[in-house]
Parts: sequence; structure tokens; C-alpha cells
Amino acid sequence: MSPDAARAPMTAPVYLDNAATTPVDPRVAARMAECLTEAGVYGNPGSDAHEFGERAAERVERARAQVAAAAGAEPGEVIWTSGATEANNLAVFGAAHYYRDAGRHVVTARTEHRAVLDPCRELERRGWRVTYLVPDSGGGIDPGQVQAALQGDTTLVSIMHVNNEIGVVQDIAAIAAVCARHGVARLHVDAAQSMGKCAIDFGAAGVDLMSLSAHKVHGPKGVGALLVSRRRDLQLQALQFGGGQERGLRSGTVPTHQVVGMGEAFALAAAATAEGPRVAALRDRLWQGLEAIGRVLRNGAAQNTVPQLLNVSFEEVEGESLLAAVRAQVAVSTGSACASAAREPSYVLRALGRDERLAESSLRFSLGRFTTPQDIEVAVEAVAAAVARLRRIAGA
Amino acid sequence: MNYSELTQRYFETAPGAGTLGPGAARGAAGSRAQGTWVQFELQIDAPGGRIAAARFLAFGCPHTIAVAAWVAEAAVGRLPQPALPEGVQALRRRFDLPVEKLGRLLVVEDAWLAAMADAGVKS
Repeated sequence: MSPDAARAPMTAPVYLDNAATTPVDPRVAARMAECLTEAGVYGNPGSDAHEFGERAAERVERARAQVAAAAGAEPGEVIWTSGATEANNLAVFGAAHYYRDAGRHVVTARTEHRAVLDPCRELERRGWRVTYLVPDSGGGIDPGQVQAALQGDTTLVSIMHVNNEIGVVQDIAAIAAVCARHGVARLHVDAAQSMGKCAIDFGAAGVDLMSLSAHKVHGPKGVGALLVSRRRDLQLQALQFGGGQERGLRSGTVPTHQVVGMGEAFALAAAATAEGPRVAALRDRLWQGLEAIGRVLRNGAAQNTVPQLLNVSFEEVEGESLLAAVRAQVAVSTGSACASAAREPSYVLRALGRDERLAESSLRFSLGRFTTPQDIEVAVEAVAAAVARLRRIAGA
Repeated sequence: MNYSELTQRYFETAPGAGTLGPGAARGAAGSRAQGTWVQFELQIDAPGGRIAAARFLAFGCPHTIAVAAWVAEAAVGRLPQPALPEGVQALRRRFDLPVEKLGRLLVVEDAWLAAMADAGVKS
């Protein structure tokens, strides 16, 4: 099946929410399907007493090598998890608890994903101190801020690579150098959004821990990985126990089909070198069309964002109404968290200094492998019409 | 968020959105900075007469826009009264509003009362 065959029907809204999740690439799905049925490789990769297990283990190790190669790591540094959230939890709790005798101070940023912020808040409840760095107005964290925040008992710094809301890329190598000079602080990087969007080189960057996700890059949901540096002999306290899989750091039967899917997805993303310029051109056309609406603001430093993400605030438009007005034509995310009817403006945009209204009236457009020029035109037209109508209703 | 069919219809069509111009009674409530603002303008026939035309402007969520549009539509032909054409709780049921949105209805009600006051209707 070609990638085009995976596209939704014409009547469906244009999908521009690839930062939330992506459709599984048909090539990935085909590899996964090989590991599910009796005719395929369905054995438990931990069962080394027979051929079924050995064949599954071969697939798992091949996938491990694919993920490692795509991320600039060694295969032995890849620990499978259920996704980036679990990887972040394992990194934050695992490192903080293992090194607790060396100190109980953690440094992170206000713009991190909840999968890092919530574990940090839990650490505070357990007696740790956490410093939350404030980004500049473009979303950047200056390595100097990290340097200034480090204390004698700082054992962990957790800074994301690509922000999931605004797409800003942090200077991870420079931050890693700051941590290396400190000597005690280990660096964890949430790179859930990075693969396929910008280069990752775990080894060269000097990072100690890195969280990865499969479903952000046309792989399956329910699988991710934590890269654990062997170069610096990083240690973690395990969070779950039961079978000793994954070097004892993540017990539980490894889901062969899931990790095979992640390996294939990462290999495809690493090979898709032409993807960046193509998507960047689409993103630029999208911004050009939205900017022409007038009274719009781009969130995040434009010169330092990945091509796949564009976050825009619309003045004089209420966020929930904007999302409701475009949802039949375009699937995007809003700058509000709406787990309940009581909506909260994006804490990421608030951290950048956007006021509550602008933070709430933002839309995140995230492009992907299957986004077409026609999708962009549909999105521009739908958003322009919605904004004009809502401003008219508001008398703005 | 899912919206009721009625909310969806009045949000999408927003009948009565706009203004009537000079001479109309006008009242507003809420604030854009707080996320919800509503204004009603009413044209009332001779003193003691009925509401001949009603318009609204609204900055707010789909529920706010839908209810304001419904109120403006329902007001036409009625005698001006210091109460919404339908009470807040009844409107909440009619539009299937979640309880968290009740405050938005109160803004609509305050805007209506302000327009009535401007029209000289005593509460």
C-alpha cells in the first residue's frame, strides 16, 4: 500500500495535528503485522529455549539497532518503554532516586511537557527542590540560565529538545556541555518530538538520558524508548519489577510488534532526508496565508523552530469558538487544555509572555509526511473564514 | 468539546449578529479580557410597544454566541421585560450547557438587563 492509500477520505477534515500523533506508515504497519499471527513471529522474545522466541528476539534486536542508529546511540543504550511519558518518568524518577545521596535538586523548564513537569512536582512532594527555568519570549532556554541554576547538589537537568507546542529547538549540546562542566548534574532530554523533525545525535551531544516516542513519527502508539548513556555509566533506579527485561530497568514482556514498528518508523524517518525542505515550504505557505488574515502573532522564534510546527495566536478571537469554527475542515490543536469544560490557556505560551487571551486563542498546526499543498490551502481558507466571522460577531 | 445540535446551529448561523445603529437601546456585560463579552441592541416601537428588532455582538465560546443569538431572535415581537425571554436555567437545559458554562449565561443575562435599562424598562 502506498502512503497515499493511508490518507483519510476526502470528506474528512484536513489533518494538521501530527504533533499529537501521526498515522502509522503502511510500511510500518506491514512490519508490525508480521509479528502478530501464528504465521508470523509471535514468540516471546524472552523465551530463548526455542526458535519462536529466538526469532522474536532477533526482530527486537534489529529494531533496537534501528532506533539506536537513527538517534546516534549504541543499541545497548536503548531501553524499550510504553512511550515517551514512561521514558520521562523513568528518567526523572530513576535518576533522581538513584543519585539522591549526591543531592536533591533538579533543574527543568516551565515549557516542558507535563510528562516531565508532573514527575518534577511529585519529586517536590517527596522532598526534592526543583528550579523551573523561564524561557525567553521566543521559547529558548539559554545555556547560561542552566549554568546559573546549577547548585552543588543538582543531580538532574531535564530540558526538552523540540517543544511540542511551538516547535522551538533547544541547544542541547551547549546545555550538555554546561552539565558536563558541573560534573554531577546528569542531562535528560525529552526528544519525543524530535525524530524526523531535526537531527538527533545522542552520543555526540553528550546527553545522559533521552526519551523517544514512536507514534509522533508514523510509528505505533504504545511504544517508546529511553536512551541511557553507557559512556558516562549512567545509573537509574528501576520503577517496575517483574522479569528483569531491559537490563532490569523495565521489567515486562517486550511487545515485539510494537518495537518492530518503532524501529521501522525510525529507520524510515532517518532516511527521509528530503522531508524537511518539503514540509518547511508547506509551513511557510501556511504562515503566509495566516499572516494575511491580519492581527495574528506567531508563537516561538521563527528562525529556531522545526518545519513541522506552526503556532499562531489570533487577536480578538475566542479560542474555543475558533476551534469549533474550523473543526469541520481542519483538525488542529488549540492553545487551551480542554480536558474539561473549564479550559486553561496554554502554560507554554503563558511562559513565553503571551497574555491569557492570546495564549487561549492560539492554534497549533503540525504538519507531517502526508501533508499536501492542498491541505494547506484548505486550512488557510477555513481559518481565514472562521476568524473573519468570529471577529464580525464580536464587533472587532 | 461536543455541542448540542441547537448550540451548533445557532453558533454556525449566528442570526441577529450585528448592530442596529443610532437610536437603539444598548446594553453590554462582561469583558473581552476575561473571555466573555456580550452586547444587545434593541429597537422598540413606541413607548410601551414591542421589540421590533434585536441584534447582538458576542466575544466568547460557542455556547455564549449561540445563546445570545437565540435570545436576540426570541426577543423580537415580545414586550420589553427586565428578564430574558427564557430564564437562565431553562436556557441551560435548552442548550445542554455544562455546569461550568453557567457563568457565560449570566453574562448574557447581564447584557440583556443592561439593554433593558437603557430602554427605560424598570426592573
